[in-house]
Amino acid sequence: MKLYPIRLGRLIAKVILALAGFLAVFPLLWTALNALKNNVDIITRVPKVIFTPTLANIGYILGRDSVLTGLYNSVVACGSAVLIGVALGLPAAYAVARYPNRFAGDIQFFVLSLRFLPPVAVAIPLMVIWLQVGLYDTLPALIVTYSLLTISVIMWLAIPAFQGVPKEIEEAAFVDGYGAYSVFWRIALPVAARSLAGAIAFSFVLVWNEFLIALMLSSSNAKTLPIVASELSQQGMNVPWGILNASVVLLSLPPLLFLGILSGFLNSVFRQKKS
Amino acid sequence: MRRRSSLPVTFLVPTLAILLVLSMVPTLYAIVIALQNRELSMTGYSWVWFSNFADLFLDRRFLNAVWVSVKWEIVTVVATMAVAIGLGVLMFEAASPRLRNFYCLLFIIPVLLPRVSAAFVWKFAYHPLYGIATYPYRLVTGGLIFDPLSKPATALFAVASVDVWQWGLFFAVIVLKLLETLPPQPIEAARLDHAKRWQIHAYVTLPMLKAPLISLMFVKMIESLRSFDLIYVMTRGGPGVATETLDMYAFSQGFIESGKVSYASAMAVLMMIATVITFTMLWKRVQA
Repeated sequence: MKLYPIRLGRLIAKVILALAGFLAVFPLLWTALNALKNNVDIITRVPKVIFTPTLANIGYILGRDSVLTGLYNSVVACGSAVLIGVALGLPAAYAVARYPNRFAGDIQFFVLSLRFLPPVAVAIPLMVIWLQVGLYDTLPALIVTYSLLTISVIMWLAIPAFQGVPKEIEEAAFVDGYGAYSVFWRIALPVAARSLAGAIAFSFVLVWNEFLIALMLSSSNAKTLPIVASELSQQGMNVPWGILNASVVLLSLPPLLFLGILSGFLNSVFRQKKS
Repeated sequence: MRRRSSLPVTFLVPTLAILLVLSMVPTLYAIVIALQNRELSMTGYSWVWFSNFADLFLDRRFLNAVWVSVKWEIVTVVATMAVAIGLGVLMFEAASPRLRNFYCLLFIIPVLLPRVSAAFVWKFAYHPLYGIATYPYRLVTGGLIFDPLSKPATALFAVASVDVWQWGLFFAVIVLKLLETLPPQPIEAARLDHAKRWQIHAYVTLPMLKAPLISLMFVKMIESLRSFDLIYVMTRGGPGVATETLDMYAFSQGFIESGKVSYASAMAVLMMIATVITFTMLWKRVQA
């Protein structure tokens, strides 16, 4: 008798969880499905599950110059910014993690506080600056601006990753006659590689998804994919729903490729905490 | 050996110098622009000092934007934390380890999506005639129309629901991982004392996790400031000014409507000062 309410409670909990899991992915799956529909199959009062699929929307998207330019711009801008973030952020994080000085706390706070800056407050002056030096609406301007984001995020996440490398390994390498730099290159980097990959993937997702700064710093040449996708919805009164859905799918795929790495990263962060 | 290495200097100084330049130049320049009267359409400008700021406080639309931003911040932070703690505890209680991993993977997906994508996904879903989310309502009421995004009373909540969809589910995963790091003894002890499941969490586990949960809330407060993409795609600040947050208003003043860059910058500077002060104080509190 006493077990009964607990069983019922568990059942309700399971139903709620299943519902939440459904809610998490269903809207996205529905969008992917709509990307394969003709417009007549989307504009129905009763949602259609069975329809004749078409590749026309995806073909249209991939055949448009604006989308391909946006894709190219996004890949180049985000890729370069992440590379710069790796080149500058990882060494700095290692120095903070392994050579603590009295500024370490302040440095960490400074890096985090960059995240407090409202994007509008950065984008407006930068737009004026880039206009004045003639770099407005170019990829270099976007790359430099994004580097601020990638360097700070990679540094912030890499500090705990380097702290997680067992000190004994590094000490042993010093004893073996390695210099400080080769310990970083040959010991710390490879040992922390998995967590670092998570941090780097996270920074890529962050700039890939970035919208406001890209919107303000580009007018035609340097538009990134999110901007192009958002503009597709403004093509007159006759909204091309299928095409719009297809562009959403294209835009969402790259971040989802990192799902595995990022969930592994989350796990490793918390396993560290536990031990 | 470590002490005498040049590594900290060569590794830290260039990075910090670049970060300082990249962050301070726009910040200081934002203040400079805010004290002038620049407009996009004109090349000349003059110094007007604090008149932009004085104008702001007489601008009803600005005051509305402040209020909308505060509402947005409260609604999204509270709802995200409630969803996260609720689902986190449910997963901890009712899901087997394999099922937990599965849910964790599902719950991370929404937050990885670009905000623009998430906004579009839900904009379709909330469409009054063809949306999948409004379909149950049409079905039950026999075809009545419900348009959450175009009603002033519901628009903010409809947009906020997308934010909670992304962050609440993601934070539920973190809450679960935090619960998993707790030592089992206090939970066992409470169970032996015949505490109910919800009592164990309300009085034992969640108080033990107070510090990380507050940090989590802090992160959400910062991320909630970035509402622009969602609002821009879903409502453009409408209907009327019902969802016009500060960054949306600054953007429309600076770019869409009038090109008053200086006026927009004054707004951005006020936002910056308010957030930096608030978050610095909160952060020091959290750390203490």
